[in-house]
Amino acid sequence: MGERETVYEGLKRQGLSRRGFFQLSSLLAAFLSLPKSDGVRQLGVGEFKPKPSLVRQVRKALESKPRVPVIWLEFQDCAGCTESISRSLSPTLTNLVLNTLDIEYQETLMAAAGVQAEAAKAAAMEKYAGQYLLVVEGSVTSKDGGVYCTIGGKANDALLREAAAGAAAIVAVGNCAAFGGIPAAAPAPTEGVGVDQIITDKPIINLPGCPGIPEVYTNTVVHYLVFGTLPELDELKRPLAFYGVTIHDRCLRRPFYEAGKFADSFDDEGYRKGYCLYKLGCKGPTTYNACASMRWMNGLSFPIQSGHPCLGCSQPNFWDGGGFYQGQSAPLGRPGVAAVGAAAGAGLALGAAAAVANRAQKKPSKSEKGE
Amino acid sequence: MNWDSILAFARGPFFYFALLIFIGGMIYRFVRIVLLGFSSDRVPARGSKLGGVVKTYAKNLLILPFIPWVKGSFSRNPVMYLAGGLFHLSLFVVIFLGTAHMLVWKSLLGFGWPTLALPIVDWLAAVGIVAMLVLFINRLVNPVLKLLTGPAEWLNWGLVFIPMLTGYIMTHHLFFPYQVLFSLHMIAVDLLLIWIPASRISHFMFYFFSRTIHGTEFGKRAVSP
Repeated sequence: MGERETVYEGLKRQGLSRRGFFQLSSLLAAFLSLPKSDGVRQLGVGEFKPKPSLVRQVRKALESKPRVPVIWLEFQDCAGCTESISRSLSPTLTNLVLNTLDIEYQETLMAAAGVQAEAAKAAAMEKYAGQYLLVVEGSVTSKDGGVYCTIGGKANDALLREAAAGAAAIVAVGNCAAFGGIPAAAPAPTEGVGVDQIITDKPIINLPGCPGIPEVYTNTVVHYLVFGTLPELDELKRPLAFYGVTIHDRCLRRPFYEAGKFADSFDDEGYRKGYCLYKLGCKGPTTYNACASMRWMNGLSFPIQSGHPCLGCSQPNFWDGGGFYQGQSAPLGRPGVAAVGAAAGAGLALGAAAAVANRAQKKPSKSEKGE
Repeated sequence: MNWDSILAFARGPFFYFALLIFIGGMIYRFVRIVLLGFSSDRVPARGSKLGGVVKTYAKNLLILPFIPWVKGSFSRNPVMYLAGGLFHLSLFVVIFLGTAHMLVWKSLLGFGWPTLALPIVDWLAAVGIVAMLVLFINRLVNPVLKLLTGPAEWLNWGLVFIPMLTGYIMTHHLFFPYQVLFSLHMIAVDLLLIWIPASRISHFMFYFFSRTIHGTEFGKRAVSP
Protein backbone atom coordinates (compact mmCIF):
# COMPACT_ATOMS: atom_id res chain seq x y z
CA MET A 1 0.00 0.00 0.00
CA GLY A 2 3.00 2.27 0.52
CA GLU A 3 3.35 3.08 -3.17
CA ARG A 4 -0.25 4.27 -3.44
CA GLU A 5 -0.89 7.97 -3.75
CA THR A 6 -2.21 9.76 -0.67
CA VAL A 7 -5.41 11.75 -0.89
CA TYR A 8 -3.47 15.02 -0.75
CA GLU A 9 -1.10 13.94 -3.51
CA GLY A 10 -4.04 13.04 -5.66
CA LEU A 11 -5.72 16.39 -5.05
CA LYS A 12 -2.45 18.27 -5.69
CA ARG A 13 -2.00 16.45 -8.94
CA GLN A 14 -5.42 17.72 -9.94
CA GLY A 15 -4.37 21.27 -9.24
CA LEU A 16 -5.67 21.89 -5.71
CA SER A 17 -3.63 24.57 -3.95
CA ARG A 18 -2.31 24.19 -0.41
CA ARG A 19 -4.81 26.84 0.73
CA GLY A 20 -7.62 25.00 -1.02
CA PHE A 21 -6.55 21.84 0.72
CA PHE A 22 -6.67 23.54 4.13
CA GLN A 23 -10.14 24.83 3.37
CA LEU A 24 -11.26 21.38 2.35
CA SER A 25 -9.83 19.93 5.56
CA SER A 26 -11.73 22.48 7.64
CA LEU A 27 -14.94 21.79 5.79
CA LEU A 28 -14.60 18.05 6.25
CA ALA A 29 -13.66 18.51 9.89
CA ALA A 30 -16.78 20.60 10.30
CA PHE A 31 -18.92 17.76 9.03
CA LEU A 32 -16.97 15.21 11.04
CA SER A 33 -17.27 17.13 14.27
CA LEU A 34 -21.05 16.97 14.05
CA PRO A 35 -21.63 13.93 16.23
CA LYS A 36 -19.45 15.27 19.01
CA SER A 37 -20.64 18.86 19.01
CA ASP A 38 -24.23 17.95 18.20
CA GLY A 39 -23.67 19.94 15.02
CA VAL A 40 -26.67 19.48 12.77
CA ARG A 41 -28.87 19.06 15.79
CA GLN A 42 -28.06 22.49 17.15
CA LEU A 43 -26.69 24.69 14.42
CA GLY A 44 -27.26 25.79 10.87
CA VAL A 45 -24.69 24.85 8.24
CA GLY A 46 -22.86 28.16 8.28
CA GLU A 47 -22.24 27.98 12.02
CA PHE A 48 -20.04 24.89 12.22
CA LYS A 49 -16.89 25.58 14.18
CA PRO A 50 -14.73 22.46 14.27
CA LYS A 51 -11.99 22.21 16.84
CA PRO A 52 -8.56 23.18 15.43
CA SER A 53 -7.20 19.83 16.60
CA LEU A 54 -9.78 18.01 14.53
CA VAL A 55 -8.91 20.08 11.45
CA ARG A 56 -5.27 19.08 11.94
CA GLN A 57 -6.23 15.45 12.34
CA VAL A 58 -8.25 15.49 9.13
CA ARG A 59 -5.46 17.28 7.26
CA LYS A 60 -2.82 14.84 8.42
CA ALA A 61 -4.97 11.87 7.53
CA LEU A 62 -5.57 13.22 4.03
CA GLU A 63 -1.86 13.96 3.64
CA SER A 64 -0.59 10.64 4.83
CA LYS A 65 -3.22 8.00 4.24
CA PRO A 66 -3.57 6.21 0.93
CA ARG A 67 -6.75 6.51 -1.03
CA VAL A 68 -9.64 4.29 -0.04
CA PRO A 69 -10.45 1.72 -2.70
CA VAL A 70 -14.17 1.59 -3.36
CA ILE A 71 -16.19 -1.03 -5.17
CA TRP A 72 -19.64 0.22 -6.02
CA LEU A 73 -22.31 -2.30 -6.87
CA GLU A 74 -25.70 -1.47 -8.34
CA PHE A 75 -28.57 -3.90 -8.04
CA GLN A 76 -32.28 -3.06 -8.27
CA ASP A 77 -31.68 0.66 -8.57
CA CYS A 78 -32.23 3.66 -10.81
CA ALA A 79 -28.67 5.02 -10.50
CA GLY A 80 -30.26 8.10 -8.91
CA CYS A 81 -27.91 7.95 -5.94
CA THR A 82 -24.94 7.84 -8.31
CA GLU A 83 -26.40 10.85 -10.08
CA SER A 84 -26.87 12.61 -6.76
CA ILE A 85 -23.39 11.91 -5.47
CA SER A 86 -21.71 12.88 -8.73
CA ARG A 87 -23.28 16.31 -8.13
CA SER A 88 -21.81 16.65 -4.68
CA LEU A 89 -21.57 20.00 -2.81
CA SER A 90 -18.34 21.37 -4.23
CA PRO A 91 -16.19 20.31 -7.17
CA THR A 92 -13.40 19.46 -4.77
CA LEU A 93 -15.58 17.10 -2.81
CA THR A 94 -16.74 15.48 -6.02
CA ASN A 95 -13.11 15.02 -6.98
CA LEU A 96 -12.42 13.60 -3.61
CA VAL A 97 -15.07 10.97 -4.00
CA LEU A 98 -15.02 10.21 -7.66
CA ASN A 99 -11.37 10.70 -8.57
CA THR A 100 -9.26 10.78 -5.49
CA LEU A 101 -10.88 7.83 -3.86
CA ASP A 102 -10.20 4.81 -6.02
CA ILE A 103 -13.54 3.77 -7.34
CA GLU A 104 -12.49 0.51 -8.87
CA TYR A 105 -15.86 -0.51 -10.19
CA GLN A 106 -18.93 1.60 -10.79
CA GLU A 107 -21.23 0.50 -13.53
CA THR A 108 -22.71 3.90 -14.33
CA LEU A 109 -19.47 5.87 -14.33
CA MET A 110 -16.79 3.49 -15.53
CA ALA A 111 -15.68 3.38 -19.14
CA ALA A 112 -15.04 -0.33 -19.17
CA ALA A 113 -17.81 -2.75 -19.98
CA GLY A 114 -18.56 -6.43 -20.19
CA VAL A 115 -15.87 -9.02 -19.46
CA GLN A 116 -13.15 -6.40 -18.91
CA ALA A 117 -15.19 -4.59 -16.27
CA GLU A 118 -15.90 -7.82 -14.39
CA ALA A 119 -12.22 -8.74 -14.61
CA ALA A 120 -11.24 -5.32 -13.21
CA LYS A 121 -13.60 -5.84 -10.29
CA ALA A 122 -12.22 -9.30 -9.58
CA ALA A 123 -8.68 -7.93 -9.70
CA ALA A 124 -9.55 -5.06 -7.34
CA MET A 125 -11.27 -7.40 -4.90
CA GLU A 126 -8.21 -9.58 -4.82
CA LYS A 127 -5.69 -6.75 -4.62
CA TYR A 128 -7.48 -4.84 -1.85
CA ALA A 129 -8.99 -7.77 0.00
CA GLY A 130 -10.04 -6.71 3.48
CA GLN A 131 -9.41 -3.03 2.73
CA TYR A 132 -11.98 -1.79 0.27
CA LEU A 133 -15.26 -0.11 1.00
CA LEU A 134 -18.16 -1.81 -0.65
CA VAL A 135 -20.84 0.67 -1.67
CA VAL A 136 -24.20 -0.81 -2.61
CA GLU A 137 -26.90 1.04 -4.47
CA GLY A 138 -30.28 -0.59 -5.04
CA SER A 139 -32.07 -3.39 -3.26
CA VAL A 140 -31.11 -7.04 -3.37
CA THR A 141 -33.40 -9.84 -4.46
CA SER A 142 -32.90 -13.47 -3.55
CA LYS A 143 -36.28 -14.63 -4.83
CA ASP A 144 -36.09 -17.57 -7.25
CA GLY A 145 -32.31 -17.71 -6.89
CA GLY A 146 -31.81 -14.01 -7.52
CA VAL A 147 -32.85 -14.39 -11.15
CA TYR A 148 -34.59 -10.99 -11.26
CA CYS A 149 -31.34 -9.04 -11.11
CA THR A 150 -28.23 -10.48 -12.71
CA ILE A 151 -25.00 -8.87 -13.81
CA GLY A 152 -22.64 -10.68 -16.14
CA GLY A 153 -24.80 -13.77 -15.75
CA LYS A 154 -24.46 -13.85 -11.95
CA ALA A 155 -27.29 -13.43 -9.48
CA ASN A 156 -27.19 -10.17 -7.52
CA ASP A 157 -27.28 -11.75 -4.06
CA ALA A 158 -24.33 -13.97 -4.96
CA LEU A 159 -22.44 -10.92 -6.28
CA LEU A 160 -23.15 -9.09 -3.05
CA ARG A 161 -21.94 -11.97 -0.88
CA GLU A 162 -18.84 -12.35 -3.01
CA ALA A 163 -17.95 -8.65 -2.80
CA ALA A 164 -18.89 -8.36 0.87
CA ALA A 165 -16.53 -11.17 1.85
CA GLY A 166 -13.43 -9.04 1.28
CA ALA A 167 -14.91 -5.65 2.23
CA ALA A 168 -13.73 -3.70 5.24
CA ALA A 169 -17.21 -2.21 5.55
CA ILE A 170 -20.35 -1.82 3.51
CA VAL A 171 -22.07 1.46 2.77
CA ALA A 172 -25.68 1.05 1.65
CA VAL A 173 -26.51 4.18 -0.33
CA GLY A 174 -30.13 5.17 -0.85
CA ASN A 175 -33.36 3.81 0.53
CA CYS A 176 -33.32 0.72 -1.72
CA ALA A 177 -29.95 -0.53 -0.50
CA ALA A 178 -30.73 0.43 3.10
CA PHE A 179 -34.33 -0.73 3.49
CA GLY A 180 -35.44 -2.21 0.18
CA GLY A 181 -36.95 1.06 -1.07
CA ILE A 182 -39.21 1.02 -4.09
CA PRO A 183 -38.50 -2.61 -5.09
CA ALA A 184 -39.68 -3.59 -1.59
CA ALA A 185 -42.95 -1.65 -1.90
CA ALA A 186 -46.18 -3.62 -2.27
CA PRO A 187 -46.69 -5.84 -4.18
CA ALA A 188 -42.90 -6.20 -4.37
CA PRO A 189 -42.74 -8.80 -7.14
CA THR A 190 -39.00 -9.38 -6.67
CA GLU A 191 -39.14 -9.17 -2.86
CA GLY A 192 -36.24 -6.75 -2.76
CA VAL A 193 -34.55 -6.19 0.61
CA GLY A 194 -31.85 -3.99 2.09
CA VAL A 195 -28.23 -5.09 2.24
CA ASP A 196 -28.35 -5.85 5.96
CA GLN A 197 -30.98 -8.52 5.34
CA ILE A 198 -28.45 -10.50 3.29
CA ILE A 199 -25.10 -9.63 4.89
CA THR A 200 -24.94 -9.92 8.65
CA ASP A 201 -21.25 -10.37 9.42
CA LYS A 202 -19.85 -7.04 8.20
CA PRO A 203 -20.13 -3.50 9.52
CA ILE A 204 -22.90 -1.84 7.51
CA ILE A 205 -23.79 1.79 7.37
CA ASN A 206 -27.08 2.90 5.85
CA LEU A 207 -27.33 6.23 4.06
CA PRO A 208 -30.99 6.18 3.03
CA GLY A 209 -32.71 8.82 0.99
CA CYS A 210 -34.24 8.89 -2.45
CA PRO A 211 -31.62 9.75 -3.45
CA GLY A 212 -29.17 10.07 -0.58
CA ILE A 213 -27.68 13.49 0.15
CA PRO A 214 -24.28 13.61 -1.56
CA GLU A 215 -22.47 15.26 1.35
CA VAL A 216 -23.69 12.56 3.68
CA TYR A 217 -21.97 9.98 1.52
CA THR A 218 -18.81 12.07 1.15
CA ASN A 219 -18.59 12.67 4.84
CA THR A 220 -19.04 9.03 5.70
CA VAL A 221 -16.24 7.99 3.38
CA VAL A 222 -13.97 10.70 4.77
CA HIS A 223 -14.82 9.67 8.31
CA TYR A 224 -13.75 6.17 7.44
CA LEU A 225 -10.59 7.49 5.81
CA VAL A 226 -9.61 9.74 8.72
CA PHE A 227 -10.55 7.61 11.69
CA GLY A 228 -10.62 4.15 10.15
CA THR A 229 -14.01 3.57 11.77
CA LEU A 230 -17.64 4.10 10.92
CA PRO A 231 -19.42 7.10 12.46
CA GLU A 232 -21.85 6.81 15.36
CA LEU A 233 -25.04 5.13 14.11
CA ASP A 234 -28.69 5.02 15.15
CA GLU A 235 -30.77 1.84 15.47
CA LEU A 236 -31.35 1.79 11.72
CA LYS A 237 -27.57 1.98 11.13
CA ARG A 238 -27.71 5.59 9.95
CA PRO A 239 -25.04 8.13 10.98
CA LEU A 240 -26.45 10.16 13.87
CA ALA A 241 -24.71 13.26 12.62
CA PHE A 242 -27.08 13.42 9.67
CA TYR A 243 -30.02 11.32 10.77
CA GLY A 244 -30.13 12.45 14.39
CA VAL A 245 -33.08 14.81 14.15
CA THR A 246 -36.24 14.97 12.10
CA ILE A 247 -36.89 17.18 9.10
CA HIS A 248 -39.69 18.74 11.16
CA ASP A 249 -37.24 19.76 13.90
CA ARG A 250 -35.17 21.83 11.50
CA CYS A 251 -37.86 22.87 9.07
CA LEU A 252 -38.00 26.50 8.06
CA ARG A 253 -41.82 26.25 7.97
CA ARG A 254 -41.98 24.96 11.54
CA PRO A 255 -43.15 28.29 13.04
CA PHE A 256 -46.24 28.07 10.82
CA TYR A 257 -46.94 24.60 12.16
CA GLU A 258 -46.74 25.91 15.71
CA ALA A 259 -49.03 28.80 14.83
CA GLY A 260 -51.55 26.50 13.15
CA LYS A 261 -51.06 28.13 9.74
CA PHE A 262 -51.32 25.48 7.05
CA ALA A 263 -51.59 25.25 3.29
CA ASP A 264 -54.81 23.36 2.52
CA SER A 265 -54.09 22.80 -1.14
CA PHE A 266 -51.31 23.38 -3.60
CA ASP A 267 -52.73 26.62 -4.88
CA ASP A 268 -54.45 28.31 -1.97
CA GLU A 269 -53.40 31.48 -0.23
CA GLY A 270 -51.68 29.65 2.60
CA TYR A 271 -49.55 27.77 0.10
CA ARG A 272 -48.52 30.97 -1.64
CA LYS A 273 -47.60 32.46 1.72
CA GLY A 274 -45.31 29.53 2.43
CA TYR A 275 -47.31 28.03 5.30
CA CYS A 276 -46.72 24.58 6.76
CA LEU A 277 -47.33 21.62 4.42
CA TYR A 278 -48.45 19.19 7.16
CA LYS A 279 -52.00 19.00 5.84
CA LEU A 280 -50.69 18.26 2.36
CA GLY A 281 -49.11 15.07 3.66
CA CYS A 282 -45.68 16.20 4.88
CA LYS A 283 -43.85 13.32 6.58
CA GLY A 284 -41.32 15.67 8.22
CA PRO A 285 -42.22 14.75 11.81
CA THR A 286 -41.20 11.10 11.42
CA THR A 287 -38.41 11.52 8.91
CA TYR A 288 -34.81 11.58 10.06
CA ASN A 289 -32.51 13.22 7.55
CA ALA A 290 -30.36 16.30 7.09
CA CYS A 291 -32.29 17.92 4.23
CA ALA A 292 -33.70 20.72 6.38
CA SER A 293 -30.34 21.71 7.84
CA MET A 294 -27.82 20.95 5.07
CA ARG A 295 -30.21 21.33 2.15
CA TRP A 296 -29.43 20.38 -1.42
CA MET A 297 -27.54 21.95 -4.31
CA ASN A 298 -24.92 23.72 -2.25
CA GLY A 299 -27.40 24.72 0.43
CA LEU A 300 -29.81 26.22 -2.06
CA SER A 301 -33.05 24.52 -1.08
CA PHE A 302 -34.77 21.29 -0.12
CA PRO A 303 -38.20 19.88 -1.00
CA ILE A 304 -40.20 21.64 1.72
CA GLN A 305 -38.52 24.95 1.00
CA SER A 306 -39.38 24.48 -2.66
CA GLY A 307 -43.03 23.89 -1.78
CA HIS A 308 -43.40 20.12 -1.68
CA PRO A 309 -44.19 18.08 1.43
CA CYS A 310 -41.51 15.68 2.64
CA LEU A 311 -42.10 12.14 1.37
CA GLY A 312 -40.11 10.53 4.17
CA CYS A 313 -37.64 8.95 1.75
CA SER A 314 -35.02 8.18 4.39
CA GLN A 315 -37.40 5.99 6.42
CA PRO A 316 -38.14 2.29 6.03
CA ASN A 317 -41.25 1.45 3.98
CA PHE A 318 -41.67 5.06 2.92
CA TRP A 319 -43.37 3.99 -0.26
CA ASP A 320 -46.12 2.12 1.61
CA GLY A 321 -46.34 4.45 4.61
CA GLY A 322 -49.60 6.14 3.63
CA GLY A 323 -50.35 8.39 0.66
CA PHE A 324 -47.75 11.03 -0.11
CA TYR A 325 -50.44 13.71 0.03
CA GLN A 326 -52.39 12.25 2.95
CA GLY A 327 -51.83 13.81 6.36
CA GLN A 328 -49.27 12.05 8.49
CA SER A 329 -51.71 11.53 11.34
CA ALA A 330 -54.28 9.78 9.15
CA PRO A 331 -54.55 6.01 9.38
CA LEU A 332 -52.87 4.04 6.62
CA GLY A 333 -56.10 2.67 5.26
CA ARG A 334 -59.80 3.01 5.86
CA PRO A 335 -62.33 0.21 5.87
CA GLY A 336 -64.41 0.08 2.71
CA VAL A 337 -68.21 0.14 2.60
CA ALA A 338 -68.34 -3.67 2.55
CA ALA A 339 -66.19 -4.07 5.67
CA VAL A 340 -68.12 -1.40 7.58
CA GLY A 341 -71.36 -2.96 6.40
CA ALA A 342 -70.26 -6.37 7.57
CA ALA A 343 -69.24 -5.03 10.98
CA ALA A 344 -72.49 -3.10 11.30
CA GLY A 345 -74.48 -6.13 10.17
CA ALA A 346 -72.77 -8.34 12.71
CA GLY A 347 -73.52 -5.80 15.45
CA LEU A 348 -77.13 -5.55 14.32
CA ALA A 349 -77.65 -9.31 14.20
CA LEU A 350 -75.98 -9.96 17.55
CA GLY A 351 -77.87 -7.09 19.19
CA ALA A 352 -81.22 -8.29 17.83
CA ALA A 353 -80.47 -11.87 18.86
CA ALA A 354 -79.55 -10.76 22.37
CA ALA A 355 -82.70 -8.63 22.61
CA VAL A 356 -84.92 -11.53 21.48
CA ALA A 357 -83.24 -13.83 23.99
CA ASN A 358 -83.85 -11.25 26.73
CA ARG A 359 -87.54 -10.95 25.85
CA ALA A 360 -87.92 -14.71 25.87
CA GLN A 361 -86.54 -14.69 29.40
CA LYS A 362 -88.82 -11.85 30.44
CA LYS A 363 -92.11 -13.49 29.37
CA PRO A 364 -92.66 -15.72 32.44
CA SER A 365 -92.32 -12.71 34.72
CA LYS A 366 -95.26 -11.04 32.93
CA SER A 367 -97.57 -13.90 33.81
CA GLU A 368 -96.56 -13.54 37.42
CA LYS A 369 -97.76 -9.94 37.33
CA GLY A 370 -100.93 -10.60 39.29
CA GLU A 371 -99.15 -11.84 42.39
CA MET B 1 -39.22 -5.39 14.71
CA ASN B 2 -38.49 -1.69 14.96
CA TRP B 3 -40.69 1.23 15.94
CA ASP B 4 -41.40 2.10 12.33
CA SER B 5 -42.97 -1.29 11.70
CA ILE B 6 -44.86 -1.14 15.01
CA LEU B 7 -46.19 2.25 13.96
CA ALA B 8 -47.18 0.94 10.55
CA PHE B 9 -49.07 -1.90 12.26
CA ALA B 10 -50.78 0.42 14.76
CA ARG B 11 -51.81 2.91 12.06
CA GLY B 12 -52.64 0.22 9.54
CA PRO B 13 -54.17 -3.21 10.19
CA PHE B 14 -54.65 -2.76 13.94
CA PHE B 15 -56.51 0.51 13.50
CA TYR B 16 -58.59 -1.02 10.73
CA PHE B 17 -59.52 -3.96 12.95
CA ALA B 18 -60.22 -1.75 15.98
CA LEU B 19 -62.41 0.58 13.97
CA LEU B 20 -64.56 -2.30 12.71
CA ILE B 21 -64.91 -3.68 16.24
CA PHE B 22 -65.89 -0.20 17.38
CA ILE B 23 -68.52 0.21 14.67
CA GLY B 24 -69.94 -3.28 15.15
CA GLY B 25 -69.86 -2.96 18.93
CA MET B 26 -71.60 0.40 19.04
CA ILE B 27 -74.31 -0.82 16.70
CA TYR B 28 -74.75 -3.87 18.90
CA ARG B 29 -75.20 -1.59 21.91
CA PHE B 30 -77.56 0.66 19.97
CA VAL B 31 -79.76 -2.25 18.90
CA ARG B 32 -79.82 -3.61 22.43
CA ILE B 33 -80.98 -0.27 23.81
CA VAL B 34 -83.58 0.38 21.12
CA LEU B 35 -85.05 -3.13 21.39
CA LEU B 36 -85.56 -2.68 25.10
CA GLY B 37 -88.66 -0.90 23.87
CA PHE B 38 -90.27 2.42 24.60
CA SER B 39 -93.07 2.83 27.09
CA SER B 40 -96.27 3.71 25.27
CA ASP B 41 -97.52 7.24 25.78
CA ARG B 42 -101.16 6.98 26.88
CA VAL B 43 -101.63 10.56 28.04
CA PRO B 44 -102.09 13.52 25.65
CA ALA B 45 -99.19 15.97 25.93
CA ARG B 46 -99.93 19.54 26.98
CA GLY B 47 -96.48 20.84 26.02
CA SER B 48 -94.16 20.29 23.09
CA LYS B 49 -91.87 17.27 23.34
CA LEU B 50 -89.53 18.77 20.75
CA GLY B 51 -89.46 22.03 22.68
CA GLY B 52 -88.48 20.07 25.77
CA VAL B 53 -85.61 18.43 23.92
CA VAL B 54 -84.33 21.74 22.55
CA LYS B 55 -84.63 23.31 25.99
CA THR B 56 -82.76 20.59 27.80
CA TYR B 57 -79.83 20.68 25.38
CA ALA B 58 -79.67 24.47 25.39
CA LYS B 59 -79.79 24.54 29.16
CA ASN B 60 -77.52 21.67 30.01
CA LEU B 61 -74.95 21.84 27.21
CA LEU B 62 -74.76 25.51 26.30
CA ILE B 63 -75.75 27.53 29.38
CA LEU B 64 -75.41 25.74 32.69
CA PRO B 65 -71.86 24.43 32.18
CA PHE B 66 -70.71 28.04 31.96
CA ILE B 67 -72.56 29.22 35.08
CA PRO B 68 -71.95 26.11 37.17
CA TRP B 69 -72.57 27.72 40.59
CA VAL B 70 -76.33 27.55 40.07
CA LYS B 71 -76.16 23.77 40.02
CA GLY B 72 -76.26 21.59 43.08
CA SER B 73 -73.84 19.11 41.60
CA PHE B 74 -71.28 21.88 41.37
CA SER B 75 -71.65 23.21 44.89
CA ARG B 76 -71.61 19.69 46.32
CA ASN B 77 -68.44 18.65 44.45
CA PRO B 78 -66.79 21.56 42.62
CA VAL B 79 -63.51 19.77 41.97
CA MET B 80 -65.13 16.91 40.16
CA TYR B 81 -67.52 19.20 38.29
CA LEU B 82 -64.77 21.51 37.05
CA ALA B 83 -62.22 18.81 36.30
CA GLY B 84 -64.83 16.70 34.54
CA GLY B 85 -66.17 19.64 32.55
CA LEU B 86 -62.76 20.89 31.49
CA PHE B 87 -61.71 17.37 30.57
CA HIS B 88 -64.70 16.99 28.25
CA LEU B 89 -64.16 20.41 26.70
CA SER B 90 -60.50 19.62 26.17
CA LEU B 91 -61.27 16.25 24.63
CA PHE B 92 -63.81 17.75 22.25
CA VAL B 93 -61.49 20.52 21.07
CA VAL B 94 -58.47 18.25 20.70
CA ILE B 95 -60.32 15.51 18.84
CA PHE B 96 -62.35 17.68 16.50
CA LEU B 97 -60.48 20.97 16.21
CA GLY B 98 -56.86 19.79 16.34
CA THR B 99 -55.32 19.70 12.88
CA ALA B 100 -53.77 16.26 13.18
CA HIS B 101 -57.08 14.75 14.32
CA MET B 102 -59.10 16.58 11.70
CA LEU B 103 -56.90 14.87 9.11
CA VAL B 104 -57.91 11.51 10.60
CA TRP B 105 -61.58 12.42 10.21
CA LYS B 106 -60.88 13.69 6.73
CA SER B 107 -59.26 10.43 5.72
CA LEU B 108 -62.20 8.46 7.15
CA LEU B 109 -65.11 10.68 6.10
CA GLY B 110 -63.71 12.27 2.97
CA PHE B 111 -64.13 15.87 4.08
CA GLY B 112 -62.39 18.18 6.50
CA TRP B 113 -63.03 21.45 8.31
CA PRO B 114 -61.06 24.43 9.64
CA THR B 115 -59.08 23.84 12.81
CA LEU B 116 -57.77 25.90 15.69
CA ALA B 117 -54.18 27.11 16.00
CA LEU B 118 -51.86 24.71 17.75
CA PRO B 119 -51.22 26.85 20.87
CA ILE B 120 -54.96 26.91 21.70
CA VAL B 121 -55.38 23.18 21.20
CA ASP B 122 -52.15 22.64 23.06
CA TRP B 123 -53.21 24.58 26.12
CA LEU B 124 -56.55 22.82 26.21
CA ALA B 125 -54.79 19.47 25.91
CA ALA B 126 -52.63 20.40 28.89
CA VAL B 127 -55.78 21.39 30.79
CA GLY B 128 -57.30 18.03 29.91
CA ILE B 129 -54.27 16.14 31.14
CA VAL B 130 -54.24 18.03 34.43
CA ALA B 131 -57.98 17.48 34.79
CA MET B 132 -57.49 13.76 34.28
CA LEU B 133 -54.82 13.69 36.98
CA VAL B 134 -57.19 15.53 39.33
CA LEU B 135 -59.94 13.03 38.56
CA PHE B 136 -57.49 10.19 39.18
CA ILE B 137 -56.61 11.52 42.61
CA ASN B 138 -60.27 12.17 43.27
CA ARG B 139 -61.04 8.53 42.61
CA LEU B 140 -58.28 7.53 45.03
CA VAL B 141 -59.38 9.72 47.91
CA ASN B 142 -63.15 10.12 47.61
CA PRO B 143 -64.69 7.42 49.81
CA VAL B 144 -67.79 6.93 47.65
CA LEU B 145 -65.83 6.87 44.40
CA LYS B 146 -63.41 4.39 45.93
CA LEU B 147 -66.31 1.99 46.37
CA LEU B 148 -67.58 2.57 42.83
CA THR B 149 -64.21 2.27 41.13
CA GLY B 150 -63.19 -1.10 39.81
CA PRO B 151 -60.75 -2.37 37.19
CA ALA B 152 -63.04 -1.22 34.36
CA GLU B 153 -62.90 2.37 35.60
CA TRP B 154 -59.13 2.32 35.85
CA LEU B 155 -58.94 0.86 32.34
CA ASN B 156 -61.24 3.65 31.08
CA TRP B 157 -58.97 6.19 32.67
CA GLY B 158 -55.75 4.63 31.40
CA LEU B 159 -56.87 4.12 27.81
CA VAL B 160 -57.95 7.75 27.60
CA PHE B 161 -54.98 9.15 29.47
CA ILE B 162 -52.24 7.38 27.46
CA PRO B 163 -53.31 8.88 24.11
CA MET B 164 -53.64 12.32 25.69
CA LEU B 165 -50.23 12.19 27.30
CA THR B 166 -48.39 10.66 24.34
CA GLY B 167 -50.13 13.07 21.99
CA TYR B 168 -49.04 16.02 24.06
CA ILE B 169 -45.42 14.88 24.37
CA MET B 170 -45.35 13.98 20.69
CA THR B 171 -46.53 17.42 19.63
CA HIS B 172 -43.68 18.94 21.59
CA HIS B 173 -41.10 16.40 20.45
CA LEU B 174 -40.00 15.64 23.98
CA PHE B 175 -38.21 12.72 25.67
CA PHE B 176 -38.75 9.99 23.07
CA PRO B 177 -38.48 9.68 19.30
CA TYR B 178 -41.64 10.78 17.53
CA GLN B 179 -42.44 7.35 16.08
CA VAL B 180 -42.22 5.71 19.54
CA LEU B 181 -44.80 8.11 20.96
CA PHE B 182 -46.88 7.94 17.81
CA SER B 183 -46.90 4.14 18.07
CA LEU B 184 -47.93 4.18 21.74
CA HIS B 185 -50.56 6.80 20.93
CA MET B 186 -52.04 4.69 18.16
CA ILE B 187 -51.88 1.40 20.07
CA ALA B 188 -53.71 3.00 23.00
CA VAL B 189 -56.29 4.51 20.66
CA ASP B 190 -56.81 1.16 18.93
CA LEU B 191 -57.32 -0.57 22.28
CA LEU B 192 -59.65 2.25 23.31
CA LEU B 193 -61.74 1.81 20.16
CA ILE B 194 -62.11 -1.88 20.92
CA TRP B 195 -62.90 -1.20 24.56
CA ILE B 196 -65.40 1.66 24.16
CA PRO B 197 -68.46 -0.43 23.16
CA ALA B 198 -67.96 -2.62 26.22
CA SER B 199 -67.35 0.27 28.58
CA ARG B 200 -69.06 3.29 30.06
CA ILE B 201 -67.14 5.49 27.65
CA SER B 202 -70.01 4.59 25.30
CA HIS B 203 -71.82 7.43 27.09
CA PHE B 204 -70.44 9.64 24.31
CA MET B 205 -73.39 8.20 22.34
CA PHE B 206 -75.90 7.21 25.02
CA TYR B 207 -75.67 10.58 26.77
CA PHE B 208 -77.60 12.00 23.83
CA PHE B 209 -80.20 9.23 24.14
CA SER B 210 -80.90 9.84 27.78
CA ARG B 211 -80.80 13.60 27.39
CA THR B 212 -83.32 13.40 24.54
CA ILE B 213 -85.65 11.09 26.48
CA HIS B 214 -85.46 13.41 29.48
CA GLY B 215 -86.22 16.35 27.21
CA THR B 216 -89.37 14.74 25.86
CA GLU B 217 -90.49 13.78 29.36
CA PHE B 218 -89.95 17.29 30.67
CA GLY B 219 -91.47 18.90 27.57
CA LYS B 220 -94.75 17.01 27.32
CA ARG B 221 -96.04 18.28 30.67
CA ALA B 222 -98.46 15.43 31.14
CA VAL B 223 -99.28 13.00 33.88
CA SER B 224 -97.09 9.96 33.61
CA PRO B 225 -98.88 6.67 34.11
